[in-house]
Formats: sequence, structure tokens, C-alpha cells
Amino acid sequence: MKSQGKAYDVVVIGAGNGGLTAAIRVLQAGRSCLVLEKHNLPGGFATSFRRGRFEFEASLHELNDFGSPEEPGDIRTLFRELGVEDKIGWIRIPDAYHLITTDKQYDCEMPFGLQAFTDKMEELVPGSRPSVTAFFELCDEVRAAQTYSMEVNGHTDSEYMKKHFPNFLRAGSYSVNEVLDALKMPKKAQDILGAYWCYLGVDLDRMSFLHYGSMVIRYITRDAWMPKMRSHEISLALETRIRELGGDIWYHSPAAHILTDEAGAITGVSLTDGQVIPTHHVIANMAPHVVFGSMLDKKAVTPQITRATNARTFAGRGFSLFLGLNKSAEELGIKSHNYFIYDTADTVKQYNSMRRVDTNHVQATVCLNNAYPACSPEGTCMMYFTTLIMSDDWSRVSQSEYFKMKDRVADDMIRVFERETGCQIRDAIEEIAVASPTTYARYCGHPEGTIYGYETAGWDSLMPRMMMIAEDAALCPGLRFAGGFAMRSSGYSSAYVSGDLSGRQTVGDLKKEGR
Amino acid sequence: MKFKKQLFGFMDMLRFTKLVPNRRAALAAGADTPLPETWAVNEQARALHPGRMQVELTEVTPLTPRMAELVFRRVDGDAFPFFRAGQYVSLQGKVGDSVISRPYSIASSPRQALQNRLVLGVENAGFFSQYLTQEAKPGDRFVMTEPSGEFHYETLRDKKHIVGVAGGSGITPLLSMAQSALEGDEPYQMTLFYGARRAEDLAFRKELDALSEKGLKVIYVLSDEERPGYEHGFVSGELLSKYVPVQDVTYFLCGPKAMYEYLAGQMAPWHLPVKAVHKDATCCPSLSMDNPRTFTLTVHIRDKVFTVPAREDETLLTAMERAGIEAPNKCRAGGCGYCHSKWLGGDFQVAEGRDGRREADRKFGFVHPCVTYPLSDMELDVPPAE
Repeated sequence: MKSQGKAYDVVVIGAGNGGLTAAIRVLQAGRSCLVLEKHNLPGGFATSFRRGRFEFEASLHELNDFGSPEEPGDIRTLFRELGVEDKIGWIRIPDAYHLITTDKQYDCEMPFGLQAFTDKMEELVPGSRPSVTAFFELCDEVRAAQTYSMEVNGHTDSEYMKKHFPNFLRAGSYSVNEVLDALKMPKKAQDILGAYWCYLGVDLDRMSFLHYGSMVIRYITRDAWMPKMRSHEISLALETRIRELGGDIWYHSPAAHILTDEAGAITGVSLTDGQVIPTHHVIANMAPHVVFGSMLDKKAVTPQITRATNARTFAGRGFSLFLGLNKSAEELGIKSHNYFIYDTADTVKQYNSMRRVDTNHVQATVCLNNAYPACSPEGTCMMYFTTLIMSDDWSRVSQSEYFKMKDRVADDMIRVFERETGCQIRDAIEEIAVASPTTYARYCGHPEGTIYGYETAGWDSLMPRMMMIAEDAALCPGLRFAGGFAMRSSGYSSAYVSGDLSGRQTVGDLKKEGR
Repeated sequence: MKFKKQLFGFMDMLRFTKLVPNRRAALAAGADTPLPETWAVNEQARALHPGRMQVELTEVTPLTPRMAELVFRRVDGDAFPFFRAGQYVSLQGKVGDSVISRPYSIASSPRQALQNRLVLGVENAGFFSQYLTQEAKPGDRFVMTEPSGEFHYETLRDKKHIVGVAGGSGITPLLSMAQSALEGDEPYQMTLFYGARRAEDLAFRKELDALSEKGLKVIYVLSDEERPGYEHGFVSGELLSKYVPVQDVTYFLCGPKAMYEYLAGQMAPWHLPVKAVHKDATCCPSLSMDNPRTFTLTVHIRDKVFTVPAREDETLLTAMERAGIEAPNKCRAGGCGYCHSKWLGGDFQVAEGRDGRREADRKFGFVHPCVTYPLSDMELDVPPAE
């Protein structure tokens, strides 16, 4: 050991959405906390970058389950509790989504609000109202049941569940498509309702209804919002809160190893220069594959940990294109804030075509000016396009072909957008940036450039994860996870929730130990 | 809700109770082979973005009375990363008790980088460059940051015909861009205007002549000398019009501030869109002022605290370097954000036109020390260099 620094009750590794939230929870409980971040900024994917006249949002499309100040959603409530709601300037996202499928089946703009959404669906698919209404009623029960489950930290009482959430339990083991079929929802309505699937990255044959339903109802019934200064504003607000609460945060400080004693109990975290920070509790805002594969002392990596980690499947690897355009959205004819452009509404077929870079033509595309006109200078607008690659196909790109390959995928995104919306944007490109799986691997260190954590499909879907929080954590006492690779899976809201949970549970661990 | 009971069958509850046992069994059935320590894409990221590299100077050759060519090889890896022609590296060394670093555009091509060869053309114009051009010798070791910067061609943004305008040592990134296109890694056709005072001040003549034979169009422009085969004067709007369709090209300018200002005036009547003209950044200079005051700068790096003098005519980065503190930095022009640091107290000013901070950085009190001058005693929380 080179040098022994100050000891902390908790060391958080990774200042992403989950890690920052966890740190605040630890500090609010009066415990000491150090956040270690390998990059020179907080936020992980929640950041921004400047190019010329533009400041691009790196990843956030809209913050789900935020709600208005008067009717706050779970995330606004969480931000309120963390003490950061008022540090951030908020704007409301106008509409839910604009779904386009290039097989010409769908081109529909869906609004927020239960009534408006159901009305619009009835207009598009006459006769859909009863099943869509039933869907949302079921979703509401799902939401209530999950809130209960979170409140009891996964220790659910089965009798209580049966009494209060019987339909939740009945539907709980089925996929989205199975439930929508059971509700006798017209196929077209199912397709339109399924548009959000790419936000969870699993086709609807394999995605748990509980997972999808709880997300969709949060989107539709509670406003989505967005910080004015891109997600960097949230990250700096959380960072500032950590400092206010007396926490420490070190940048350019990747954790090298999590140290343990002979019994495998955590004793500290070492940095790459050898400095050791004594602690008994680590919250890792990173992939368990990385923590168990190369950070945790080998003697603490049990066969059970190895098997449980190897068993899991990486979800989508990220690819994004950012464009600063020298014409306004209005001049270019870009009307929507949020586009989902698929080849087909058949999510299984679509998922399979997304396994390969050259057959992937899916995009979730945002024109931020349509939610916040002042996000770029007068007479300009900015857009970001994202897709997921559902395999490690990107690893075949050689170093010298790397930049060309990025351009090729970006070119395809522009081509598809222009063709499907009729908006000609190519000549207006003033600034361009492209992020590939390599970029995501570089900045966040996630395996294969995965941005969605572990796939929440089949046996590893959200519900059993929630019910096994304690069991999963028992694999390695003193270590908990936060962020997209944690229990709640990926997405901003989920990452904040996972950080909230892991932060509070670690405080609970400290109490139990009598520390 | 009436549908409740018909929704599924009597087995639903049983299915639900199986969720946990199923997951438990699947986790236990995972492979017992050791977990991977890395992945191909992560190795790709490491190869393309090695961060700080250890390099060795292998050759120093005078190019002009004021410029020298410095050739480096990487010693902590097999090769330099492939990069985008036009990018720069930051070279970092120690001179006396100071740590010092400067960004230099790469003159060699991305293909050569893969052969572990990286060339800089350094003009003797300051403290570090004087050391590099006159004192550094083969075998000397330095730290070099990975190639960075946005001064490069963008296939989806720029015209197929590009015009490079180089002033003095500004030839370096444009030489790399010209070579890269001829090596098939970039899709553009290039016309290069290279301005200098006299013919003897033109660097890389041999390389440029060789590229000319392969199709690069080069126009040499001398301001202080008239010579046959050379244009005389400055690179003006009229001169550009003589050789290229000025509305149908994308410009890449690299040279001193005076050249940018002159060209901006010359090109103004063409009403080009912002996207048509790219300028390489220049280092943020010290301010010229009489009797600059000296303040105290308190620097927190992790759990260490340093107190150093900071002159009001020099950037906070320079103050730290003078005191031997290795603070992170790359572009020294305000734009790359690599020196991003938390402001803890004191007054400051940001160099005019160089505030490259994000909006929220300004709101929550973050600064880029490479373009920030103190106006009082100050306190910063700075990340370590690595």
C-alpha cells in the first residue's frame, strides 16, 4: 500500500446518474462518502458537449415520470427529496411520440395524457378504446404494486399482494404481447402502443408486461420533462448537492481495485496510483461484469458470483448521431420532438434486424427545439438520433475503417429520416458528431459499449429482479450496484431510482452493522 | 373490471410464484469460466483513445530558420492510434521546475501513426517550443495526449472540394490532411494555399512537392519576396477566386490570428455560411499589461492542497504549471473542456471569445483554467492530470 487516505463510510465508484443519487442518499443520512469518477465530468451518459454554436444533449430524450410541480411524478418527488429540483430549470415535453414505420403501416403522432392518448388511439384504431382503457387500468395496478415492492425493499408479503394487486400477480409472468392479446386489443393498437419498446430494448414477445406497462403508464399519465441546459444541468446539480452535503468527489480517479480481507469482506478501494481509500461499503455505478471480472479481489469472487454474472446478457450497444443544423426546425419542416422510426411494428423481426449494423435502420430521434426552442441559436436547430445494436457486431470494425464506418451509419440515419419525414436536412448540417459503441466504451467503460445494462428479458425481467434484491446483494456483502446495470435496468429514471435504492440500502447496512 | 377473471387461467398465480425460482436457477446455471476482463470494443476504445502516451523523440530536423521537424515513436504501445487528419496532440514535458505542455497539430498522416511514427512541425515561438526546437534531442521522453480536436474533414458536412489556407507553421495539419486524402482515407480533393514571408520560410517543401506530383494542387504565396512560380502578397479573396470556385468549397484555415482576421474581411462579401469555414484553434496567450498583480491561487487536487502564485496576466493553468503542478490540459484554447475544474472562490475573467464552457458549467461554477485569468485570490478544485 502506497498511501492510506481518509476513510469513508461509503465509496461510490462512478458518478453516473445512479452513483450521484446514491451518494446524496448516503450523505443525507449523515454518513461520509467519496465519489470516484474516471472521467473529468459527472453524469456518465447524462452530459452535454459543445460544437461551434451548439451544445448537444448527449443522451436524454425526456425524463419519464417527472410530472408537474403540482402533480409530481416519482422522479420529481425524488429530486425534491434529494434537494436538487429547484437547482434545475425545467421544460415540459409537448407530446409523447411520433411513430413511423417504413413499411408504410404507421405514421401517427401520439399525445401525453390518458384521455388524449386513448382518444387518439380510438381515432386511429376504431374500437380500441375498451382494451386500451383496460390496459391502462392494469398498468395502474402494476405501478401501485411496484411502488409497494420498492417501499418494502423487495420483501413483499404475498397475502398483501394477492389482496391488493391480484391482476398484477395474474399478468405478472406474461410478456407484453401475451397480455395485449389477452386483452383482445386490436393488432394496430398493439403496434402503436408498443412504440416505446426501443426504450427498454427487448422485443415485446420477451419483454415482461410488468416492465413495459409500468413505463408506458408513467409516460402517458405523467408529463415528461427535460432540463433546459441539457442533462449536464442535472449532473452538475447533483454534484453541487454532494459538495453541499460535505461529500467528496474526485475526477480523473478511476478505481483500480476493490480490496478485501482474507474473509472476503471489503476493506477499501485503491486508485491506479496505488492510493488506498479505506471503506467497508462500495456502491458501484458500473457493470457487475467489470467489477467482478477485474476490480474485486479475486479471492472474493465466489463461483456463485462468477456463474450469476456469466449468466446475464448484455442489452443494446449504443450508436448516436448529433446534428447542428443551420436552419430552424420550422424551415426544415421538422414538427415533432420525438420520432420512433422502425422498419416494422413487428418488434421481434425488428429486434433481429438490429443485431447487425448493416441491417439496422431503426432510430429514436429527437429535435430538441420542438420542446425547447431556445436550445440553439435563432435560425438553427439540433437533432440527435440513437439506435441500439443488439449484438457485438460493431467489434468487427477495424481501427483504420473506424471513422468511415461511423459516417456510413450516420449517413443511413439521415437518409432514413429524410425519406420517412420528407424533411431535407443534409445540406443544413453545420456541426456533426457521432458516438459509436466504441465511444460509449471509452467514456463509461461498459462492456461492448452497452448502454442499456443487462437485457430485461425472460427469466431476468424486472419483476424477479425486484423480488431478489436482497438475494442478489447477498452475493457480495458490502457491495451494491447503481445505474443502468443495476436491478432497475437502464434509462434515466431507472438509474436515479436504483441509486436512491442502493444509497438508502447501504445506509441500512451501515446501521445493521452498528457502524 | 370484469375482464379480470377471464384474463388468464388458474395457473397464473403459480407462474408468478415461479419467477424467482426460475431466475435463481438461471443465475446458478451460468458458466463457471472466469469472467472476461475486457471486450473487443473496449480494446478498440483503448487503441483509438489511449489517453496519455509515453513517447520518445527519434529525430529533430530543421525545416526553416524558425521551424523544426520532430519525429516521435510511442514507447508504451506498438503504435500511435489512427486519427482524423487535422487533429493535434498535446506534448508535455518538464523544463526546470515547471511542467509545461503545448498543443501541436500532427503533420504526418494517420497511416503513418499505425507505423508508430508521428511528426510535429514546431515553430520556435515560445518557452516550450524553443526548448523543443533547440535543446531537445533524440532519446528524450515526453508525455503526449491522444490525437484530439474537431479541425478535420467531415464527410457528411463538407464539400467534396476543400481549400486549405496555411500561414507559417499552420501548414502542419493541412499537410496531414493532404496526405491522408492521397492515401485513400479521406474522400476530398484539396487545393492548398501556403503563405509565408519568403521561400526559405516554407516548411515541408519536399513532402509537398511529392504530394503535388500525386495530384495535390499547391499555391505558394510569399509576402516579402517576389519569385517566379510563386504568388506574391497575402492569400486574398482575389487570389482564392483565381484558383477555386469560392462558393462551392469548404475552407480549412490554419495560421496566426492576423491571417484569420484578414481572411474574414476578404471573404465577407461572399456571405458564406458558418459551416463553410473551419479555423484551427490557437493557444490562449498571456495578456499584455503593465505591472500585473500577483494573487494567491489555492488548488485542491483530490485530498491535497497547494498554494501557488498566480499572475493576473497569465492563465490559471500557467500559474499551476509554473509551480510544477500537473493539471490536465489539451487544447489550451478553451474548447476541449479537458481542464474542466470546479471554481471554489475568487474573481476571474475568461479570455475574450474563448469561453467554451457548457451552459450549466457557468451556472454551477466550473471553469476552464486554460483560458481563465485571476482577478483576485482564487480557489479551485482541479482533477489530477491522470
